[in-house]
Amino acid sequence: MHQATHRMRARLLTIAIAIPTTVIVVAAHAGPPVVGRPSYPGPSPDKVRFFNTEVLPILKESCFNCHGSGAQLSGGLSMTTHDSLFKGGVSGSALRADKPEDSLLVKAVNYQGREMPPSGKLPPAKIAVLTKWVAMGAPMPLGSVAAPGAAKPSGIPVTPETKNFWSFKLPKRSPLPTVKNKAWSANPIDRFILAGLEKNALLPAPRASKIALLRRATYDLTGLPPTPKEVADFLADTSPKAYEKVVDRLLASPHYGERWARHWLDLVRYAESNSFERDNPKPFAWRYRDYVIGALNNDKPYNQFITEQLAGDELPKRTDEALIATGYYRLGAWDDEPSDHEQARYDELDDIVATTGQVFLGLTVNCSRCHDHKIDPIPQKDYYRLLSFFQGTKRYGGTGGSVEQNSLRAIGPEEEKQRFAREDSEYHRKLSGVLTRLKAIEGAIIPDLSSVEKEEWGNPQARLAALKKRVPAKVAEETYREAIALDNERRDLEKSPPKGLELALCVTEGGKTVPATHVMLRGNPHVPGDEVQPGFLSVLSPPEPVIPELPSDVASSGRRSALAAWIASANNPLTARVFVNRIWQHHFGRGIVRTTSNFGFQGSAPTHPELLDWLSTEVVKSGWKIKTLHRLIMLSNTYCMSSKGNAVGLKKDPENNLFWRFDMRRLDAEEIRDSMLAVNGTLNLQMGGPPVYPKIPAEVLAGESRPGANWEDSTPEQMARRSVYIHIKRSLTVPILASFDVADTDFTCPVRFATTQPTQALGLINSTFANEEAALFAEYARKQAPESSAKQISLILARVTQRTPTAAEIARGQKFIKTVMTRDHVSEQDALKYYCVVALNLNEFIYLD
Amino acid sequence: MSEFCGRTRREFLWQTGGGFTGVALASMLAEDGFMDSQAHAADGVSRFSNPLAPKKPHFPAKAKSVIFLYMYGGPSQIDTFDYKPGMKGMDGKTVQVSTFGRGGHKNEGRIVEPKWNFKQYGQCGAWVSDLFPNLATCVDDVAFIKSMTADSPIHGSAMIQMNTGKILSGSPCIGSWVNYGLGTVNQNLPGFVVMLDPRGGPISGAKNWSSGYMPASYQATVTVPGDTPILNLKRPAGESDPVQREILDTLKEYNSEHEAMRGDNSNLAARIASYELAYRMQSAAPEAIDVHKEPAHIQEMYGLNDKKTEVFGRQCLMARRMVERGVRFIQIYSGGNHTETTWDAHNDIMENHTLHAGETDKPIAGLLKDLKQRGMLDSTLIVWGGEFGRQPTAEYAVGTGRDHNCFGFTMWMAGGGIKGGVSVGKTDELGSKAIEDPFKVKHLHATILHQMGIDPNRLSYFYGGLNQKLVGVEHTDPIKQII
Repeated sequence: MHQATHRMRARLLTIAIAIPTTVIVVAAHAGPPVVGRPSYPGPSPDKVRFFNTEVLPILKESCFNCHGSGAQLSGGLSMTTHDSLFKGGVSGSALRADKPEDSLLVKAVNYQGREMPPSGKLPPAKIAVLTKWVAMGAPMPLGSVAAPGAAKPSGIPVTPETKNFWSFKLPKRSPLPTVKNKAWSANPIDRFILAGLEKNALLPAPRASKIALLRRATYDLTGLPPTPKEVADFLADTSPKAYEKVVDRLLASPHYGERWARHWLDLVRYAESNSFERDNPKPFAWRYRDYVIGALNNDKPYNQFITEQLAGDELPKRTDEALIATGYYRLGAWDDEPSDHEQARYDELDDIVATTGQVFLGLTVNCSRCHDHKIDPIPQKDYYRLLSFFQGTKRYGGTGGSVEQNSLRAIGPEEEKQRFAREDSEYHRKLSGVLTRLKAIEGAIIPDLSSVEKEEWGNPQARLAALKKRVPAKVAEETYREAIALDNERRDLEKSPPKGLELALCVTEGGKTVPATHVMLRGNPHVPGDEVQPGFLSVLSPPEPVIPELPSDVASSGRRSALAAWIASANNPLTARVFVNRIWQHHFGRGIVRTTSNFGFQGSAPTHPELLDWLSTEVVKSGWKIKTLHRLIMLSNTYCMSSKGNAVGLKKDPENNLFWRFDMRRLDAEEIRDSMLAVNGTLNLQMGGPPVYPKIPAEVLAGESRPGANWEDSTPEQMARRSVYIHIKRSLTVPILASFDVADTDFTCPVRFATTQPTQALGLINSTFANEEAALFAEYARKQAPESSAKQISLILARVTQRTPTAAEIARGQKFIKTVMTRDHVSEQDALKYYCVVALNLNEFIYLD
Repeated sequence: MSEFCGRTRREFLWQTGGGFTGVALASMLAEDGFMDSQAHAADGVSRFSNPLAPKKPHFPAKAKSVIFLYMYGGPSQIDTFDYKPGMKGMDGKTVQVSTFGRGGHKNEGRIVEPKWNFKQYGQCGAWVSDLFPNLATCVDDVAFIKSMTADSPIHGSAMIQMNTGKILSGSPCIGSWVNYGLGTVNQNLPGFVVMLDPRGGPISGAKNWSSGYMPASYQATVTVPGDTPILNLKRPAGESDPVQREILDTLKEYNSEHEAMRGDNSNLAARIASYELAYRMQSAAPEAIDVHKEPAHIQEMYGLNDKKTEVFGRQCLMARRMVERGVRFIQIYSGGNHTETTWDAHNDIMENHTLHAGETDKPIAGLLKDLKQRGMLDSTLIVWGGEFGRQPTAEYAVGTGRDHNCFGFTMWMAGGGIKGGVSVGKTDELGSKAIEDPFKVKHLHATILHQMGIDPNRLSYFYGGLNQKLVGVEHTDPIKQII
C-alpha cells in the first residue's frame, strides 16, 4: 500500500515536480506595513530553527488546513506569514506584541473564548510550544511557510555520523562476559544472558519441567505435539543427555522443515494465487514451498539459501532446485488487468525491493520510492540503484508474454529433457504431416462453400461434413475416406502428445542487456529523472557491484548474482544479524531486536547487542548452518528456563527484556489445526506436492464472486494433511487459520498477531470442523481405552496436555459426561464427543509454558 | 505525528512486533486510548484489552454508524441521478469522447441516450430518473456527489480501492479502519458487518472486507441470506443450550485452574472471558437480525412483502436493527457474482438497471424514512454507490450496454450530519467525466471518517515502515460542501 498511496500522490504531483523542494522558501517579501506593531526585520537563525522544528509541524497539522494559504480562509485568518498573523482575521490580530500571553492565538489553543483547533484541544506540550513561540514574538522566516514545496523536509543524509549507526557497521565479536554463577552457564548464550540478569540483580528462572520442555521443544521445532511414545521415552530417559537427544531427534525430523518453512513463507509473502478479480492459482508455486522445507531439512547454509532465491537461475551450475528457489520473485500479488501497465510494472518491482530490503536486510528501502527516506539514511537514488538489479526480470506475465512464457521453465534430468525434445519434434512432424494432407483435401472444396459452411469452417467435424455432402459429385468416395482416416489420425495424435516435462515457477530475464533504470520523480513511473546504475545501499559503505559475465547461452544479465553475492556475504553488516535475530525470535517469541524487519533508525535497539553480534559472527563461522544455531540456542539454559513468574522478576522487568524466564506463547494457527488432527490420530503426515483443499463452509464461499472457483475437492485423507500444505488462495482463507491470525499474504509478514477474539471461541465450539475432529477424537479414545469412561477421559486429557491428568480432572470429566447423559439425555457417544470439544478448547492445549 | 513517514514512539513500539510487547507497553498504549490495543501481546504478560473496546473519537461525531449501500458493478450515472437533458434524442449518434473501460481506451463512440425519464423532486428540486420512484421522495435528505472519480476502470482494482483506498490488494478496508479507530459499543455484536447478495459475493471476495495488515479482529463479519447467516454462530445440530452451557462451564473450570497458576498471563483470562462473550453473541446476533420482530407496516416499508425487494429490504431492515444495537459499520451489497447479476450493465442497460434498481429502490427509501421517523438518520450515515460509473456510449456495435467509467460518476450520502437536498460537482454534457469539483475515492473516505468524528489525516496505523492512512499520505479534506 505504500506504493499505492504514493502512486496517487505521484499522479497529483506530476505537474508540480518542477518546483524546487526547498524546505522554506525565503523570499524577500515586503507585505503592506501593519500599523501598531514594531517592524518585523526577520528572525535570527536559531529562532527560525525553533520555528521550523517545533512550531511549523503543529501549524501544519492543526492550523493550516483552515488558516493556510488557500482561497477559503476560516475567519479570514491566514497563519502562513508573520504579517498575516498580526493582521489577523475578522476577530482581529492573532498576536499581541505588548501582551503575548493575551494573544488570541494563545487563548484559542487554550480553549478560552475560542476553541482551536476545533477537532480537539492540543496536548499541553504543543500548547506550551505555541505559547513560548508567541512569547518570543512569533518569529517566522520571511515569506509564506505554506509555499509549495515547503511541506516536505528532505530525508536523512548519508554522512559519517549516520553511517556510524550500530547496525550499519559490521558485527563485533566481544569476549564472553564474566559471570558470578558459573555453574548456570551451559554455553556462551547463557553467559550473555546471565551477565545482564546479574547486573540487574535478577535470578534466572529454574529449569522448566520435563513435560513443559518437551512440549516447548517439540512445538518449536516441528509445530506438532509430542506423541505419547515420545513423552514416555523422554520421561523414562533419566540420563543427563536426555534433553539433548530430544533436540537432536527433532532437528533430524522432516517435520522440522515443515514448521520452520512456515516462518520463511510468511516473510516472502508466499501464496499460491494472484489476488484481484480472478485470483487465479500460481502454477507450481508449491514447488517453492517444498524447496524451503527441503532446504531447512537438509540444513542448506543460509548464504546459499539467499543466493538460490535471488539468483539461482544465474548460478554456474543451474540445478532445478536453484531454479525453483527463484519462485521467490513470483509469489506476490499480481494484477492481471492493471489500468496502467507501466505503473503496474513498477509496483511489481517495488514489491520485490520492499520484500528483499525488509527480509534480508531489515531495512524499509521501499520508503525511498518517491523521495529520500524520512527516517533512515537511504536516498531515493539508492532505491532505484537497488531496483535496477531486478530491472532485467520479466514480469510475471501479462505484457511481453504469458505466465507460461515468462515464469515457467522445464525441470527434470537432462536425459528427460532430451527425450522430450526428441519426442516432441517427432510428434509435431507427424502431426503437421497429417494436417498438411488433410488440408490439401479439404482445401479443394473451399471455393464451393456456402456462407454457413464458411462460418463453420474452423470446426474439423464441419469440414468433414462439408466434404461428405459433396461425395461423389465433387469429392471422390475414396478421397473422403482418406480424409476420415487422416482426421482420426489427427485426433489420436492430439490425444496422446509426448509426456510433458515437469515445470517450475521461476524468474526469467529477457537477455544480457537490461533497460536503463531512472530515478522516477516522486515515484511516478511516467516521469523518469536521472539514469542510475546498479549499486548497493550507500550508507552501508558497500563495494561496487561486480556483475559476473554469464555464459553465452544464459539469457540473463548477471545483475541479481551481484546482488546476491553482496547480501549473502559476511561483510554485509545486516544479513547475519537480521537472520540470527529471526531465528531467536521464533525460539523465544521475540527478537533480540524486537522489530525483526526493521534494523533502521526507528527499529528497536537490541536488548542484548553483544549477544546478537556474537551469534551473527558465530553463524558465519559455522558456515551459515541453521541447525547448528538452533542447537546452540536450544541447549542453552536460557531456553530451558521455566515460564513461571516470580514477584521480583515481574516487578523489575515485567516485559522480560532481560530473559529472566521463558515467555509463554499461544500456538499459531497452523499449530492449532495440526494439533487438533494430531491428537485424534487422523493427521496425515505425507509430505510435499501440490496443495490440498480442506472443506470451506458455504457461508465463507458465499463471499466469493464465483463461490468455490479454483478450490478443488480433496479426499478426506488429503484434507487431513498438515496446514503448510493447504492451498493459499489470497482471497479465501480456511476459517480456522484466518481466525487464529495466519499471516496476511499480500505483504511480507515478519511477526504474526496473536489476538484473542470471541470468533475464535465460536469457531472452536460450533464449527463443523471442530465438531468433526471432536467426534474423531472420541472415537479414537474409545478404541484406545475401551475399558472405561474414566480411562477415555484420562487419555483425552493426556493427549492434549501431554501430562498425566489428576484424579480431580478425571472426575470433572466424568461428572460432565454423567450430567449431559442424565439431565440432557445425550447418548454416551455424543457425551464423549462433547467432552472432546472441551478438551480441544483447553488453554493448556493451545498455550505453551 | 509530525510527518507521514515519521511515527510516534508508541506506534513504533507496537510494531515491534504485533505481539511481543509487555505490560509497560500495554499501559502506555492505554493512556492514548486510541492506539490502544492494536493486538494482544503473545508474550504471556500483557494485560488483555479488547481491540474493539469503544474509543473516543478525535472530535464529537455526527454519525455513530455507517450503512454503505454498495451497488456492485457500477451503476450508470446518466441513467440514475446525473440528469443530461442534452442527450435526449442523440441515441445512435457517433460522438468524440474519450473513454476507458474493460474494452480499453476509445476516442469515439455511439451514444446510448439515458434510457429513463427524469423528474424533479422535493424542495431541492433534485432530478431523479424513473428508476427510483421511492428514493426520489427522499432527495431532501440526500447529498449527491456527481463528480466522483476512481483510479481504475477495472472491477478488481476499483472495488479494492472503493473499500480500502488503494488499487493494490492487501490494505484494510474502511470498515476495519472505523472499527480500529472507534471500536464498537456493543461487545455482543460484531462492529463491522458485510451483507452479501444471494447471487454471490463481489469480485475479489474477502479482500473487500479484509483487515489487511491489521489484526483479524477488525475484519468484517459476513452475513449471507439463509439459515445460517453468520459462520459458526449456531450451535451444532443436536446440541442443546444446556449441553453447550455445560461444555462452557466445564471448560471454564479446567481453564481457571490452569490460569490460577499463571496469573501473570492475562491472555489466559482473556481467553476464558472470550467464551462468555461468544456465548452471548449467539443470542444477541440472531436477535439483532430477526426482522420478524418488526411490525407488519415496517416490514412493508422495506418491501418485505414483495419478492423483488424482499432480500435487499430484509438486509436494510437488519441493518437498521444492528445500528440500533451499536454496530458501527455495515455494508450491504446489491449485486453478486458477475455482470448481469450485478450493476455491471455490459449488455442491456434497460434490463440490468430495471432489475437492480427495482430490487433496491423501495428498501432504500424505506430505510431512509424509517431512520428518519425514529430520529436515527442524524446519527446514521448512509452511503450509496458502486466502484465506478458507466460510459455515455455503447460498449458494442449493437445494444445498449455500457462499459465501465472511472472518470466521473455519481454517489450520494444521507444522514449522519450530511446536508440534505444538495448536489456537488458536475460531469460534462455527456456525463463522461467530472469537470467541476472532481473528487477521488479518498475524499469520500475522508468524509465518512470525518462524520464519524475521526480526523482522516490523523487516523494512522504503523506498518511496513510507514504510518499508513486510509486516505493516503497526502492531506485529504472531507467533501466540505456536503457537511
